[in-house]
Amino acid sequence: METIAVYWESRIKTYGFQRISDLALIEFSYALSDIKPLGKFFSKDDLKTLRPKFILSHVTNHEISFVFCLPLKENKGLRTSLEKILPPTSYRYIHPVSIIFFHGPHFGDRYGIADATFSTLSKAGIQILASGCSSASVFLVLAQHDIDKAEEALAETFEVAK
Amino acid sequence: MEKMKIGGLKQSLELCQFDLGGVHSTKEMTSKVSKLLLSKKINMEFLTQSTHRNKHHQLTFCISQDKFSAISEILKKKGFLPIGWEINSRGHVGIITIFPHQSAIKILGAVMVSWAAQSIPIYGITTSLSAISFVTNYQEIDKAIEVIQDLFQLPEDHAPLKPEIRYYQSDTVKGD
Repeated sequence: METIAVYWESRIKTYGFQRISDLALIEFSYALSDIKPLGKFFSKDDLKTLRPKFILSHVTNHEISFVFCLPLKENKGLRTSLEKILPPTSYRYIHPVSIIFFHGPHFGDRYGIADATFSTLSKAGIQILASGCSSASVFLVLAQHDIDKAEEALAETFEVAK
Repeated sequence: MEKMKIGGLKQSLELCQFDLGGVHSTKEMTSKVSKLLLSKKINMEFLTQSTHRNKHHQLTFCISQDKFSAISEILKKKGFLPIGWEINSRGHVGIITIFPHQSAIKILGAVMVSWAAQSIPIYGITTSLSAISFVTNYQEIDKAIEVIQDLFQLPEDHAPLKPEIRYYQSDTVKGD
Protein backbone atom coordinates (compact mmCIF):
# COMPACT_ATOMS: atom_id res chain seq x y z
CA MET A 1 0.00 0.00 0.00
CA GLU A 2 1.33 3.43 -0.86
CA THR A 3 -0.02 6.73 0.39
CA ILE A 4 1.11 10.10 -0.89
CA ALA A 5 0.70 12.88 1.62
CA VAL A 6 0.56 16.32 0.08
CA TYR A 7 1.14 19.37 2.22
CA TRP A 8 2.95 22.66 2.09
CA GLU A 9 4.55 24.55 4.93
CA SER A 10 6.01 27.98 4.26
CA ARG A 11 7.92 27.48 7.52
CA ILE A 12 8.59 24.03 8.91
CA LYS A 13 6.40 23.47 11.96
CA THR A 14 7.73 22.17 15.25
CA TYR A 15 6.01 21.47 18.56
CA GLY A 16 8.60 23.65 20.29
CA PHE A 17 12.15 23.51 21.58
CA GLN A 18 13.14 21.75 24.75
CA ARG A 19 16.44 21.97 26.58
CA ILE A 20 18.44 19.93 29.03
CA SER A 21 21.32 21.78 30.66
CA ASP A 22 24.24 21.08 33.01
CA LEU A 23 25.40 17.99 31.21
CA ALA A 24 28.79 16.48 30.46
CA LEU A 25 29.65 15.11 27.02
CA ILE A 26 31.76 11.98 27.34
CA GLU A 27 33.31 10.46 24.26
CA PHE A 28 35.13 7.13 24.31
CA SER A 29 36.27 4.58 21.76
CA TYR A 30 37.03 0.87 21.64
CA ALA A 31 38.34 -1.61 19.11
CA LEU A 32 35.37 -3.12 17.26
CA SER A 33 36.41 -6.52 18.61
CA ASP A 34 35.52 -5.22 22.12
CA ILE A 35 31.84 -4.75 21.26
CA LYS A 36 30.71 -7.80 23.26
CA PRO A 37 32.61 -7.01 26.50
CA LEU A 38 31.49 -3.39 26.13
CA GLY A 39 27.88 -4.54 25.80
CA LYS A 40 28.32 -6.66 28.94
CA PHE A 41 29.69 -3.61 30.74
CA PHE A 42 26.66 -1.52 29.71
CA SER A 43 24.33 -4.31 30.90
CA LYS A 44 25.75 -4.24 34.43
CA ASP A 45 23.39 -3.34 37.24
CA ASP A 46 25.94 -0.81 38.57
CA LEU A 47 25.16 1.45 35.61
CA LYS A 48 21.38 1.28 35.82
CA THR A 49 21.28 4.45 37.90
CA LEU A 50 22.85 6.41 35.04
CA ARG A 51 20.33 8.37 33.01
CA PRO A 52 22.01 9.46 29.79
CA LYS A 53 20.03 12.19 28.05
CA PHE A 54 21.54 11.36 24.70
CA ILE A 55 23.72 8.60 23.23
CA LEU A 56 25.20 8.23 19.78
CA SER A 57 27.65 5.79 18.31
CA HIS A 58 29.76 5.84 15.17
CA VAL A 59 31.22 2.62 13.83
CA THR A 60 34.19 2.30 11.48
CA ASN A 61 35.85 -0.86 10.16
CA HIS A 62 38.02 -1.16 13.24
CA GLU A 63 36.52 1.04 15.96
CA ILE A 64 33.29 1.84 17.78
CA SER A 65 33.02 5.23 19.45
CA PHE A 66 30.32 6.53 21.77
CA VAL A 67 29.13 9.94 22.83
CA PHE A 68 27.15 10.00 26.08
CA CYS A 69 25.53 13.12 27.53
CA LEU A 70 25.07 12.66 31.25
CA PRO A 71 24.11 14.94 34.13
CA LEU A 72 27.35 16.37 35.56
CA LYS A 73 27.07 14.42 38.81
CA GLU A 74 26.77 11.06 36.97
CA ASN A 75 29.74 11.43 34.67
CA LYS A 76 32.43 10.56 37.23
CA GLY A 77 30.84 7.17 37.94
CA LEU A 78 30.92 6.18 34.29
CA ARG A 79 34.51 7.28 33.82
CA THR A 80 35.73 5.42 36.92
CA SER A 81 33.89 2.23 35.91
CA LEU A 82 35.18 2.38 32.32
CA GLU A 83 38.79 2.84 33.38
CA LYS A 84 38.56 0.09 35.97
CA ILE A 85 36.78 -2.55 33.92
CA LEU A 86 37.42 -1.88 30.24
CA PRO A 87 39.82 1.00 29.57
CA PRO A 88 38.92 2.78 26.31
CA THR A 89 41.43 3.50 23.56
CA SER A 90 40.50 7.17 23.80
CA TYR A 91 38.46 9.31 26.15
CA ARG A 92 37.30 12.92 26.03
CA TYR A 93 35.17 14.96 28.39
CA ILE A 94 33.52 18.33 27.72
CA HIS A 95 31.41 20.28 30.20
CA PRO A 96 29.10 22.03 30.66
CA VAL A 97 27.06 21.22 27.58
CA SER A 98 23.35 21.50 26.85
CA ILE A 99 20.98 19.66 24.58
CA ILE A 100 18.30 21.35 22.55
CA PHE A 101 15.80 18.98 20.97
CA PHE A 102 12.61 19.29 18.97
CA HIS A 103 10.19 17.39 16.79
CA GLY A 104 7.34 18.34 14.52
CA PRO A 105 4.21 17.09 12.76
CA HIS A 106 5.97 16.21 9.50
CA PHE A 107 9.40 15.27 10.82
CA GLY A 108 10.19 11.81 9.58
CA ASP A 109 8.33 12.04 6.30
CA ARG A 110 9.60 15.21 4.68
CA TYR A 111 12.92 16.45 3.39
CA GLY A 112 14.63 19.68 4.42
CA ILE A 113 14.55 19.45 8.24
CA ALA A 114 18.28 18.75 8.54
CA ASP A 115 19.17 21.53 6.13
CA ALA A 116 16.98 24.03 7.98
CA THR A 117 18.62 23.03 11.28
CA PHE A 118 22.27 22.86 10.29
CA SER A 119 22.23 25.86 7.94
CA THR A 120 20.58 27.99 10.61
CA LEU A 121 23.16 27.11 13.25
CA SER A 122 26.04 27.44 10.80
CA LYS A 123 24.89 30.94 9.80
CA ALA A 124 24.58 31.87 13.48
CA GLY A 125 28.18 30.72 14.01
CA ILE A 126 27.22 28.00 16.48
CA GLN A 127 29.35 24.89 16.66
CA ILE A 128 27.46 21.63 17.10
CA LEU A 129 29.38 19.22 19.31
CA ALA A 130 27.20 16.25 18.41
CA SER A 131 23.80 15.60 16.93
CA GLY A 132 21.44 12.74 16.31
CA CYS A 133 18.29 12.65 14.22
CA SER A 134 16.11 9.59 13.86
CA SER A 135 12.51 9.29 12.74
CA ALA A 136 10.81 12.38 14.11
CA SER A 137 13.27 14.12 16.41
CA VAL A 138 16.37 16.30 16.23
CA PHE A 139 18.87 16.32 19.13
CA LEU A 140 21.69 18.87 19.18
CA VAL A 141 24.49 18.99 21.74
CA LEU A 142 26.02 22.45 22.13
CA ALA A 143 28.35 24.28 24.46
CA GLN A 144 26.10 25.55 27.27
CA HIS A 145 26.86 29.21 26.52
CA ASP A 146 25.50 28.78 22.95
CA ILE A 147 22.07 27.45 23.91
CA ASP A 148 20.14 30.77 24.06
CA LYS A 149 21.56 31.94 20.75
CA ALA A 150 20.77 28.55 19.16
CA GLU A 151 17.15 28.57 20.30
CA GLU A 152 16.73 32.14 19.10
CA ALA A 153 18.11 31.27 15.65
CA LEU A 154 16.08 28.05 15.33
CA ALA A 155 12.89 29.86 16.40
CA GLU A 156 13.39 32.25 13.47
CA THR A 157 13.61 29.32 11.02
CA PHE A 158 10.96 26.96 12.40
CA GLU A 159 7.37 27.82 13.24
CA VAL A 160 6.46 26.81 16.77
CA ALA A 161 2.94 25.34 16.79
CA LYS A 162 0.65 27.21 19.20
CA MET B 1 14.85 -15.13 33.82
CA GLU B 2 12.16 -12.47 33.50
CA LYS B 3 12.39 -10.48 30.29
CA MET B 4 12.89 -6.74 30.49
CA LYS B 5 9.75 -4.91 29.36
CA ILE B 6 9.91 -2.46 26.49
CA GLY B 7 7.25 -0.10 25.20
CA GLY B 8 7.60 -0.95 21.53
CA LEU B 9 9.71 -1.91 18.58
CA LYS B 10 9.71 -0.84 14.94
CA GLN B 11 11.78 -1.35 11.84
CA SER B 12 12.47 0.85 8.86
CA LEU B 13 12.21 0.19 5.16
CA GLU B 14 15.38 -0.63 3.22
CA LEU B 15 17.95 2.17 3.40
CA CYS B 16 21.54 2.91 2.48
CA GLN B 17 24.21 4.48 4.65
CA PHE B 18 27.02 6.97 4.08
CA ASP B 19 29.86 7.59 6.55
CA LEU B 20 31.92 10.70 5.94
CA GLY B 21 34.94 11.56 8.04
CA GLY B 22 37.88 13.92 8.10
CA VAL B 23 39.57 16.70 9.97
CA HIS B 24 37.39 19.60 10.95
CA SER B 25 36.56 21.81 8.02
CA THR B 26 35.18 25.30 7.92
CA LYS B 27 33.13 24.15 4.98
CA GLU B 28 30.61 22.68 7.42
CA MET B 29 30.09 19.30 5.86
CA THR B 30 26.83 18.51 7.66
CA SER B 31 25.31 21.66 6.26
CA LYS B 32 26.69 20.94 2.78
CA VAL B 33 25.35 17.36 2.73
CA SER B 34 21.93 18.36 4.07
CA LYS B 35 21.74 21.07 1.40
CA LEU B 36 22.55 18.46 -1.27
CA LEU B 37 19.78 16.16 -0.02
CA LEU B 38 17.34 19.07 0.13
CA SER B 39 18.12 19.93 -3.51
CA LYS B 40 17.34 16.31 -4.44
CA LYS B 41 14.21 16.26 -2.21
CA ILE B 42 15.55 13.34 -0.21
CA ASN B 43 14.50 12.68 3.38
CA MET B 44 17.24 11.68 5.84
CA GLU B 45 15.96 8.80 7.97
CA PHE B 46 18.92 8.80 10.33
CA LEU B 47 21.79 11.17 11.03
CA THR B 48 24.58 11.26 13.56
CA GLN B 49 27.34 13.81 13.65
CA SER B 50 30.13 14.50 16.10
CA THR B 51 33.52 16.09 16.33
CA HIS B 52 35.98 13.78 17.98
CA ARG B 53 39.43 14.15 19.40
CA ASN B 54 41.99 15.86 17.13
CA LYS B 55 39.09 17.73 15.49
CA HIS B 56 38.15 14.63 13.50
CA HIS B 57 34.65 15.10 12.19
CA GLN B 58 32.30 12.15 11.60
CA LEU B 59 28.97 12.28 9.80
CA THR B 60 26.73 9.28 9.19
CA PHE B 61 23.38 9.39 7.44
CA CYS B 62 20.84 6.95 6.02
CA ILE B 63 18.48 7.56 3.12
CA SER B 64 16.19 5.40 1.03
CA GLN B 65 18.01 2.56 -0.78
CA ASP B 66 16.68 3.70 -4.17
CA LYS B 67 18.74 6.93 -3.89
CA PHE B 68 22.01 5.08 -3.24
CA SER B 69 23.61 5.34 -6.71
CA ALA B 70 22.63 8.95 -7.35
CA ILE B 71 23.94 10.28 -4.02
CA SER B 72 27.00 8.03 -4.05
CA GLU B 73 27.99 9.46 -7.41
CA ILE B 74 27.71 13.07 -6.22
CA LEU B 75 29.54 12.53 -2.93
CA LYS B 76 32.40 10.76 -4.69
CA LYS B 77 32.79 13.48 -7.33
CA LYS B 78 36.14 15.24 -7.11
CA GLY B 79 35.86 18.40 -5.07
CA PHE B 80 32.66 17.60 -3.16
CA LEU B 81 34.48 16.50 -0.03
CA PRO B 82 37.29 18.61 1.45
CA ILE B 83 40.84 17.26 0.98
CA GLY B 84 41.60 14.51 3.48
CA TRP B 85 37.98 13.48 3.95
CA GLU B 86 36.98 9.88 3.33
CA ILE B 87 33.67 8.33 2.41
CA ASN B 88 32.42 4.84 3.12
CA SER B 89 29.06 3.79 1.83
CA ARG B 90 26.96 0.69 2.16
CA GLY B 91 23.66 -0.29 0.65
CA HIS B 92 20.93 -2.45 2.16
CA VAL B 93 20.79 -1.30 5.77
CA GLY B 94 17.79 -0.91 8.06
CA ILE B 95 16.98 0.78 11.35
CA ILE B 96 15.50 -0.99 14.35
CA THR B 97 14.05 1.34 16.98
CA ILE B 98 13.34 0.20 20.52
CA PHE B 99 11.14 2.23 22.87
CA PRO B 100 12.43 1.43 26.35
CA HIS B 101 10.62 1.68 29.68
CA GLN B 102 13.76 1.32 31.76
CA SER B 103 17.46 1.98 31.58
CA ALA B 104 18.49 2.81 28.02
CA ILE B 105 22.10 1.78 28.82
CA LYS B 106 21.03 -1.68 29.90
CA ILE B 107 18.99 -2.17 26.73
CA LEU B 108 21.87 -0.89 24.63
CA GLY B 109 24.23 -3.35 26.32
CA ALA B 110 21.86 -6.30 25.96
CA VAL B 111 21.42 -5.64 22.23
CA MET B 112 25.18 -5.26 21.69
CA VAL B 113 25.94 -8.57 23.43
CA SER B 114 23.14 -10.54 21.76
CA TRP B 115 23.73 -9.22 18.25
CA ALA B 116 27.50 -9.78 18.57
CA ALA B 117 26.81 -13.39 19.57
CA GLN B 118 24.78 -13.84 16.36
CA SER B 119 27.28 -11.84 14.22
CA ILE B 120 24.63 -9.18 13.53
CA PRO B 121 26.48 -5.92 12.86
CA ILE B 122 25.78 -2.48 14.33
CA TYR B 123 26.55 0.36 11.94
CA GLY B 124 25.29 3.26 14.05
CA ILE B 125 23.24 4.16 17.13
CA THR B 126 21.37 7.23 18.29
CA THR B 127 18.82 7.95 20.99
CA SER B 128 15.95 10.37 21.46
CA LEU B 129 13.85 11.07 24.52
CA SER B 130 11.95 7.80 24.21
CA ALA B 131 13.81 5.60 21.74
CA ILE B 132 17.09 3.91 20.80
CA SER B 133 17.74 3.38 17.09
CA PHE B 134 20.24 0.85 15.73
CA VAL B 135 21.39 0.69 12.12
CA THR B 136 22.11 -2.84 10.94
CA ASN B 137 22.32 -4.98 7.82
CA TYR B 138 18.89 -5.10 6.13
CA GLN B 139 19.40 -8.70 5.04
CA GLU B 140 19.70 -9.68 8.71
CA ILE B 141 16.95 -7.44 10.04
CA ASP B 142 14.46 -10.29 10.63
CA LYS B 143 17.07 -12.20 12.63
CA ALA B 144 17.94 -9.01 14.55
CA ILE B 145 14.24 -8.48 15.40
CA GLU B 146 13.92 -12.11 16.55
CA VAL B 147 16.87 -11.67 18.91
CA ILE B 148 15.26 -8.54 20.38
CA GLN B 149 11.91 -10.29 20.78
CA ASP B 150 13.71 -13.07 22.68
CA LEU B 151 15.41 -10.54 24.95
CA PHE B 152 12.56 -8.17 25.75
CA GLN B 153 8.86 -8.36 26.49
CA LEU B 154 6.70 -6.34 24.13
CA PRO B 155 3.23 -5.05 25.04
CA GLU B 156 0.44 -7.46 24.03
CA ASP B 157 -1.28 -4.90 21.82
CA HIS B 158 1.91 -4.03 20.04
CA ALA B 159 1.62 -2.26 16.67
CA PRO B 160 3.04 -3.96 13.55
CA LEU B 161 6.84 -3.85 13.39
CA LYS B 162 7.05 -3.15 9.69
CA PRO B 163 5.69 0.09 8.25
CA GLU B 164 2.37 -0.48 6.50
CA ILE B 165 2.12 2.91 4.86
CA ARG B 166 4.85 4.78 3.09
CA TYR B 167 4.57 8.57 3.10
CA TYR B 168 6.01 10.83 0.47
CA GLN B 169 6.14 14.55 0.35
CA SER B 170 4.79 15.36 -3.08
CA ASP B 171 6.09 18.16 -5.28
CA THR B 172 2.55 18.87 -6.44
CA VAL B 173 0.29 21.03 -4.33
CA LYS B 174 -3.32 20.80 -5.46
CA GLY B 175 -5.78 23.60 -4.78
CA ASP B 176 -9.36 23.05 -3.59
